Amino acid sequence: MSTVQIRDARKSYGSVEVLHGVSLDIEDGEFVALVGPSGCGKSTLLRMIAGLEDITGGDILIGDRVVNHIAPKDRDIAMVFQNYALYPHKNVRENMGFALRQRRIRKAEIEERVNNTAQILGLENLLDRKPRQLSGGQRQRVAMGRAIVRDPNVFLFDEPLSNLDAKLRVQMRSEIKELHQRLKTTTIYVTHDQIEAMTLADRVVVMNGGVVEQEGSPLDLYDNPASLFVAAFIGSPPMNFLEGDLVDGTNLVLADSTALPLPVGDPKGRSRVTVGIRPEHFTIGDSGWPATVSVVEPTGSETQITARLAGHIVRILIRGRTATKPGETIHLAIAPEYVHLFDAAPVPQLADLEDVA
Amino acid sequence: MSAPAPSTAHRTRTSTSHRLRVMGGIAVSILFLFPIYWMVLTSFKQQVDIFTTPPKFLFIPTLETYIEYMQRADITRRLVNTIIVAAGSGLLSIVVGAMAGYALARIRIRGAATFGLLILLSRGVPPIALAVPMFLVARKLGLTDKHITLILAYSTFLIPYVMWLMRSFFLSLPRELEESAMIDGCSRYGALFKIIIPISLPGLLSTLIFSMILAWEELLFALVLTNRHASTIPVAIAGIAGDTVNGANWGALTAVGTITVVPVVVFALLVQKWLITGLAEGATKG
Ligand SMILES: Nc1ncnc2c1ncn2[C@@H]1O[C@H](COP(=O)(O)OP(=O)(O)OP(=O)(O)O)[C@@H](O)[C@H]1O
Ligand SMILES: [Mg+2]
Repeated sequence: MSTVQIRDARKSYGSVEVLHGVSLDIEDGEFVALVGPSGCGKSTLLRMIAGLEDITGGDILIGDRVVNHIAPKDRDIAMVFQNYALYPHKNVRENMGFALRQRRIRKAEIEERVNNTAQILGLENLLDRKPRQLSGGQRQRVAMGRAIVRDPNVFLFDEPLSNLDAKLRVQMRSEIKELHQRLKTTTIYVTHDQIEAMTLADRVVVMNGGVVEQEGSPLDLYDNPASLFVAAFIGSPPMNFLEGDLVDGTNLVLADSTALPLPVGDPKGRSRVTVGIRPEHFTIGDSGWPATVSVVEPTGSETQITARLAGHIVRILIRGRTATKPGETIHLAIAPEYVHLFDAAPVPQLADLEDVA
Repeated sequence: MSAPAPSTAHRTRTSTSHRLRVMGGIAVSILFLFPIYWMVLTSFKQQVDIFTTPPKFLFIPTLETYIEYMQRADITRRLVNTIIVAAGSGLLSIVVGAMAGYALARIRIRGAATFGLLILLSRGVPPIALAVPMFLVARKLGLTDKHITLILAYSTFLIPYVMWLMRSFFLSLPRELEESAMIDGCSRYGALFKIIIPISLPGLLSTLIFSMILAWEELLFALVLTNRHASTIPVAIAGIAGDTVNGANWGALTAVGTITVVPVVVFALLVQKWLITGLAEGATKG
């Protein structure tokens, strides 16, 4: 186990800089998720930590050792790739024991460690199979096993679950979490799925365009997004955004001059803002912003309502059930402490945020 | 054969196209195999049976020509020479070419692509234009009429050939395989020899076989660079075919031709089980 420190790490391919100075302190035993839209540099950063990419600028430390010029094999890290990269000519046992054999560990010990790991992951009966004789989910497990058996200083994961179907993904997600609670190995986990990041990590690092946009505990990011980008990226269903002028700290005046009462902001003057409100922070009552219901989607435990508010589509999430029907007018109230104010800017579109994978 | 099940039009169409494909395959096979069949057949004919019209398919076979030629010391020596030269140049080229191909496929070197292309383009020079300069160089180095002369000469075209074939083979393997091995404790060379080479064996073997066949049948350089000691079988065939004194001896030509082909066929059959592709299957998500 080990700390990982990244100090102003930069990466250029030719003349194009894709990481513009990323700094990150990862504690011993911490589980850190790197999230962000496709192409933001998550994999690049992870591969720099692994030693698979040169570091153009800055330093990366594992423990208290600068590893910039240390070969991957000498960094004592283990990595699980998105496509698993199992050795196709070796069976599961050999795949899992390969790294240990490279380190010239005694045969008996290798055998024991492989068997233990196989047991943890439920792979005991597959040890003699070749990768091509395994299902996608089993391959994923072997890839995990190959990393775990080494008991490395740091685990690196690059979207390890993105090739699994939805159900298996959720199952493996909790298994990974359980494994981390048991092994307590420092883990850096790359994903573009914010739910995965939120549920797994002690700390989430949101990246965008080669820089760290914000980092913090999952709930901290959820409650206090520092930018419109993070606000739009974290949370599902996503936050609602309304752009307009905040007048005298009492009204939000939208582009079409509709004035919505909103008791936040400076008491005097007029400023251009984007207001963000999470779907579950609306309350439906007798007074508030009038909106016309267009869709009601009950899931049993909660109900998602889509409504039109002065021409804008808003999503509302309420606990339990409702008798509200499409076409009805509802009134949306919102407590001031739940209102997020951002400088006016175009809202990042979800299509840009969520990978189409 | 029963009629195709009338159940669906789709089924009928596939079985028709299947049959067309089989027939096409047979036609192509006949086109390629008939000359070889004819060569082997002719080699067992007596001189009188060779030129009959219409050609004879039934005749009393004779081993006369084989016995005559196999007893000639130069033919056996040439056979041995050809084996040495083909194996030598094939092995040299596979080692050098595969490593060069790997470098081109994987290592980020400035100008690697241009460099690779230049090597390929060098093959655009007609061999005949190289033969005489090569002879002069070989003579300066005191290397005429030696096995190593031909091995080196053949490597000049086999290495680029291997390099390009293996480059695309390596490109088809996921990069993460080596990366995984390197994280698991291998150096770049370790990853190449412990993971990539074992997976690539089928590709390496087919490439080796093709290279050896190219070397086996090469005539021009063998003609120019060797004389008595290191000369190969194709030179003998050319000699028989171009015999201006006795005229072409077709019996001898086909018999020596058959002797030349047989080792190749035997070799190909021996390694055939290694030629299955798809060994890399299962490495990735699937
Ligand atoms: N070998 C390379 N040469 C040039 N540019 C590259 C190379 N590898 C990555 N990039 C660029 O670096 C940027 C970051 O890529 P990276 O793979 O880290 O993205 P990512 O965040 O992992 O995205 P994804 O979620 O799609 O995997 C991208 O703009 C990409 O085009
Ligand atoms: Mg990536």
